[in-house]
Amino acid sequence: MLKITRRTGERIILGDDIIVTLLEVSGQTARIGIDAPRAIPVYREEIWVEVKRENEEAAKAAATPLPDVANAEATRSVARSGVTVTPEE
Amino acid sequence: MTDLTSTNAGTIAIESSRFGHVDVEAAAVIAFPDGLIGLGGLRYTLIATDAKSPFVWLQSVDDGGLALPVTNPAHFFPDFHLELSEAEARRLEIDESTAIDIFVTVRAAPVLADFVANLRAPIVVAAGVGHQVINQAPGSELRAPLLPLAENLPSSSAA
Repeated sequence: MLKITRRTGERIILGDDIIVTLLEVSGQTARIGIDAPRAIPVYREEIWVEVKRENEEAAKAAATPLPDVANAEATRSVARSGVTVTPEE
Repeated sequence: MTDLTSTNAGTIAIESSRFGHVDVEAAAVIAFPDGLIGLGGLRYTLIATDAKSPFVWLQSVDDGGLALPVTNPAHFFPDFHLELSEAEARRLEIDESTAIDIFVTVRAAPVLADFVANLRAPIVVAAGVGHQVINQAPGSELRAPLLPLAENLPSSSAA
């Protein structure tokens, strides 16, 4: 692993268009800012690990018929839902 | 233009480990520019095995062995709500007025009581492009049991 020491306010550039900024250090906690092209997803590791595991477990399902839990016709039709966007701090 | 990967004009053949040979119309292919989280897969399609089932399969177009059961969260979780961070909304190029389809992955189990759905990381499809996102809505469980609501659904035998 590449190890780089940074002072508060200093940055690391990944490639030409990803900028990682050390914003603040307080005890064991560091605040990090990430500027990346919007097409690049950024995850906290623990969430990424959890979701990866759920995806892998879901993908283990055999083709045995999944149960009919309801006779609703609406079940297969897909929700057209609105979405809320949470402002970032 | 000729697409040499297609067996017929406008269709793509999948050799699915679960469903055998499946011809998918090109228009039914959903592009996933970033794949599913930790699983990859750049192109998927939806396969329904039973018109009455609330579950459909998100089948990889390029890997016949890769498929996940998914469902419409509104069916099991009436309070389900998707909240995106600004960064993810920008990544998806959607806003609150965009028409989207939402699915959640399902972990199947021998009995329905043990089925769980991942409300934390739904799959959003807009205009033929899919992304798995992190749901910022409070209480979005990683493993939400399906059964509590399933018990409340009208059953055909009770009619």
